[in-house]
Amino acid sequence: MSEANTSETAAVSIHHLSKSFDDVEVLRDVELEVKTGEVVTIIGSSGSGKSTLLRCINWLEKPDRGSIHIAGQRIGVHEDGRPMPVRELAKVRAQTGMVFQGFNLWPHLNVLHNVTEAPIHVQGKSKREAEELATALLEKVGMSQKHDSYPNTLSGGQKQRVAIARALAMQPEVMLFDEPTSALDPELVGEVLAVIKDLSAEGYTMVMVTHEMAFARAVSDQVVFLEKGLIIERADPETFFTTPKTDRVRKFLENHDTPSSA
Amino acid sequence: MSNWDILWDERAQFLSGFLSTLEIFGLSIVGAFVIGCGLLYLLEGSRKRLTMPLRIFIDAMRMLPFLILAYLLYYGLPSIGIRLDAWWSGVGALAVYHGCYFAEIFRGNRLTFPPGQIEAAQAHGFTKGKLFFRLLLPQIIMQTRPLLGNQLIYALKDTAFLVIITVSELTAAANSLSSTYFIPTEAFIVVIGFYWAISVAMEIIIKQCGRFSAKRGFDNV
Amino acid sequence: MNASAWHMLLEGAWTTVWISAVSIAIGVVAGLVIALIRLARIPIVDQLLVLYTSVARATPLVTLALFIFLSAPDLGLDLNRSVAGILALTLNTTAFNAEIWRSAFRNFSREQSEAAMATGMTPWVTFRRIMLPQMVITSLPGLVNEMSFLIKGSPAIAVIGIVDLTRVTNRISAVTYEPLPPILVAGVLYMAIIGCLVWLQRLAERRANRLAM
Ligand SMILES: Nc1ncnc2c1ncn2[C@@H]1O[C@H](COP(=O)(O)OP(=O)(O)OP(=O)(O)O)[C@@H](O)[C@H]1O
Ligand SMILES: [Mg+2]
Repeated sequence: MSEANTSETAAVSIHHLSKSFDDVEVLRDVELEVKTGEVVTIIGSSGSGKSTLLRCINWLEKPDRGSIHIAGQRIGVHEDGRPMPVRELAKVRAQTGMVFQGFNLWPHLNVLHNVTEAPIHVQGKSKREAEELATALLEKVGMSQKHDSYPNTLSGGQKQRVAIARALAMQPEVMLFDEPTSALDPELVGEVLAVIKDLSAEGYTMVMVTHEMAFARAVSDQVVFLEKGLIIERADPETFFTTPKTDRVRKFLENHDTPSSA
Repeated sequence: MSNWDILWDERAQFLSGFLSTLEIFGLSIVGAFVIGCGLLYLLEGSRKRLTMPLRIFIDAMRMLPFLILAYLLYYGLPSIGIRLDAWWSGVGALAVYHGCYFAEIFRGNRLTFPPGQIEAAQAHGFTKGKLFFRLLLPQIIMQTRPLLGNQLIYALKDTAFLVIITVSELTAAANSLSSTYFIPTEAFIVVIGFYWAISVAMEIIIKQCGRFSAKRGFDNV
Repeated sequence: MNASAWHMLLEGAWTTVWISAVSIAIGVVAGLVIALIRLARIPIVDQLLVLYTSVARATPLVTLALFIFLSAPDLGLDLNRSVAGILALTLNTTAFNAEIWRSAFRNFSREQSEAAMATGMTPWVTFRRIMLPQMVITSLPGLVNEMSFLIKGSPAIAVIGIVDLTRVTNRISAVTYEPLPPILVAGVLYMAIIGCLVWLQRLAERRANRLAM
């Protein structure tokens, strides 16, 4: 009973989530609750299952067990266990926006059309309406000068900002970021982080995987540490970065130059 | 007597058509290969006055159907006093036509060569001829092997055009058998089988050459 | 060459162009369909298509045209020359086009469609709006190149009595006793047609480079 209750209020709620890739358990009984307006950062070493967790949330990866609700709606399967038809799945997916490490912009479309594509062809918005929205969003990410450019002419930082605008265009309940700055040259990381920081200030709900510790500490409401598919620690950023409970996290933070002042 | 029995009785005709096609094919690709290498040699470091017309000639050939060239040699040349019979017109046209394609394949590969290797050889006192035949040509041939193999299959298929200028080869054999006995389906299935077999055999040979050259380390230049 | 010779040449050119154009149009679409079917890896069907591709690529067009035209009555079909010619060209070009489409499928990155699904596109919309347009752009240079090959192979249909741009030179010289001029003019016309295709291919390549990120 209480489960259904929390599902309705939370932007994302994950219960008993497990996932294996041929005999290797990548996620083990993960529980996670993301409230509306909250920023949750997932941290962990390489191969700990961070990407898999994020990709389960919008069903790009199919979990073996457990349930995921987006704004109270179950994704992937119906409550009674029937598999969800693709159209319905797509509708729930549209409630999430994802930003990939490798940008994954559509190279055959210019910047503006990358952003308008889904609103027009998923939500059925008119071209004008979609373009007005896209213009506003591109302005927000600082890319309003580049409407007509094609992705191959943009820098990595510019691509990622367009990708953020593309995800925002569906007005999702939650934004999912998978290491959005890992593929960027160091001097371009800042411009993307600045955009994400603005979004958090505006109250967007976000789940983010990142290796930028200082940034995680500055924007998160909740930090989750994943180790071999298990959440072994979760806390508010202050507690997490200053007084970690487990040795594992302490070691991890030592190896990543921990921000002493954030 | 079934249609297949008729074909079996007439196997000599198929065989002579098959051998004739192989003969035409073999002779013309040797010719084409020599022409291709010759064109590459002429293009290599010659003056612009020579390379320009050569490039135009090669590109022109690549924009023509093979049969037009065969027509030119067979029907056209007598007008200016050169008379070739159908067989030699066909072989000549095949050699020139595919020679130009070979040259273009070689040239495309030559463009990707790092200049350092050539300069090193020149520094060691290689002459132009030695440099070309000992150093450039073997590498280019090994590296363009798959493209050359493809071109060989095109050349094989082009031999069938010669039936139109009355050369008696494999397709002509099927054509004459099918009109003598009214068994076109069977006759052509057999002949298509022959072409297919030659192509598959060539593909296998090219692959085997690939193994050989990988061993010799030609591929990672 | 007199006016009627010119007229005949142009008619021959027109025959070559329209028969080739029809074959190209069918061949491009049929190649895509075959590539899609082969994606599904249906047993037996897949092997048959592999066999078809291999045989079609090895069979000379002349032989194929004769085969289709002469044995159609055996199979109870009544094909006129043009249909037989189109069928031969199409069967040939489809095999090559299928391989071009297939390699575009193979090289299409999963991340691209994941990005589309993540925005809420259904698989069908993803295919139509994201996958197909990119595949068309990447395949176009190869497809146009194959169109040039088809034009260069098209004189094969002369063997079943179609008076195309090559065959018409025989007709003209039968009257004028001067074979050289019509053959040369036909050659120039072929160069013009294929020159257009080469130019199109350059454009298509430039367009495709945009996708190479
Ligand atoms: N499609 C797949 N098939 C098989 N194994 C997979 C697949 N995707 C991920 N894995 C494995 O699952 C484990 C977790 O992968 P995941 O990508 O979630 O890790 P991660 O925490 O995101 O690591 P990183 O920091 O390197 O991105 C890894 O061991 C990985 O090899
Ligand atoms: Mg990852």
